[in-house]
Amino acid sequence: MTIRDLALEGIEQSINGLLALDPVALQRLARLHGRCVGLQLDGIGLTLYFVPGHDGRLQLLGSIEGEPDCTLSGSPLDLVRAGDEDHGHAQLFAGNVRIDGDTALAQRFSEALAGLDIDWEEQLSRLTGDIAAHEIGRGVRAAARQGERMRDVTAANLSEYLTEEARLLPHPFEVDQFLTDVDTLRDDVARLEARIALLEKAGPGDPQ
Amino acid sequence: MDDKPGQTHFGYRSVDASEKASLVRGVFDSVANRYDLMNDLMSFGVHRLWKRLAIELAGIRPGQRVLDLASGTGDLADRFADLVGPEGYVVMSDINAAMLGVGRDRMIDRGHAGNIGYAQINAESLPVEDDTFDLVTIAFGLRNVTDKQKALEAMYRALKPGGRALVLEFSKPTNRPLERLYDVYSFHVLPRMGDLVANDAESYRYLAESIRMHPDQDTLKGMIEQAGFERCDVRNLTGGIVAIHRGFKF
Repeated sequence: MTIRDLALEGIEQSINGLLALDPVALQRLARLHGRCVGLQLDGIGLTLYFVPGHDGRLQLLGSIEGEPDCTLSGSPLDLVRAGDEDHGHAQLFAGNVRIDGDTALAQRFSEALAGLDIDWEEQLSRLTGDIAAHEIGRGVRAAARQGERMRDVTAANLSEYLTEEARLLPHPFEVDQFLTDVDTLRDDVARLEARIALLEKAGPGDPQ
Repeated sequence: MDDKPGQTHFGYRSVDASEKASLVRGVFDSVANRYDLMNDLMSFGVHRLWKRLAIELAGIRPGQRVLDLASGTGDLADRFADLVGPEGYVVMSDINAAMLGVGRDRMIDRGHAGNIGYAQINAESLPVEDDTFDLVTIAFGLRNVTDKQKALEAMYRALKPGGRALVLEFSKPTNRPLERLYDVYSFHVLPRMGDLVANDAESYRYLAESIRMHPDQDTLKGMIEQAGFERCDVRNLTGGIVAIHRGFKF
């Protein structure tokens, strides 16, 4: 018995605690009953093995005999990002996260975890009853929307100030024009280079 | 442990070998309902970590067949049933009907079905065909078996070649200060705790005594080898308070 076992027990309980809040994720994982997914954390040199049970709850093992059905490997940060629905595929294509073994299993496993969508309102309603939970949920959602709006407006105002008023930063149109000019210049140089090479090949005694 | 012929020990008492099974039954009938709670209290929750390590040493693969002896309330069987997958099979067993009933109810409540079976069996005479299981385990149960050697031989017989047996059991602390502390704990604190929680000090006194009468690491390893097992190893947990013995059948 070591700290390692204690940590594994703790992580396993936290993950299952979270999963218990999302019955859909549990159902998805339950379809993978008995399959073993390895998670190799580069840098730390640690591999954790997850085995979904009949009810979708995960068993976490520090070691197994033989090979897991599939292994996802990457740095802890890359693996967390790979779970992100919007940017997950980018991580995979950039080669930050590698998959060995049964790729379909790896995908189903990470999708089940990435799609973790906890219905806080439902959880809250067990404590406060449906009506109060719904009202609180509505309030929280409105606050979140307001926050998002504020963030967008602030970003727009800031960029306008920097480009139009303080003129510290170039306007996107100016940047585009500049980039086009650079492209033109680069092409001109390349053409000139080719021309000079051609002239040198022709030699001095053979003017064109 | 030098018993007269036909005699065996029940805690520190010497009793007729034929009597021990029913005495042990009395103990577990009495504690069945509070068994899980008492385990957590007695071991400060550490028994979960002991069992977790046993699971890793079991090296279960999907599709395998597992026999869990003296399952009690089924802590190991619960995890085994998830690890063998829908194609595997786990037999949860106990000699005690009350314990098995509590364990079976718990498995059903947790939604286990299809890859698990229940059997009230005596570990000394397993009613199974030879070469049937990939893994046979007995966690905190061998101590209560009347003829331990016979039980180990039965486990060997039930295993397929290539299979393994795991014995998770209380053992002998490997250093003196820990042993003293452990003695005080088990003879003074434990029976009181049993009295408070399960209203049964006697059963918990038996628990402490039976642990002292159980063969130590080396003796048990010798017994396992004598039963025919090969490549036997022992792992001490929590300073030897508990040990996991493992043996293979080839």
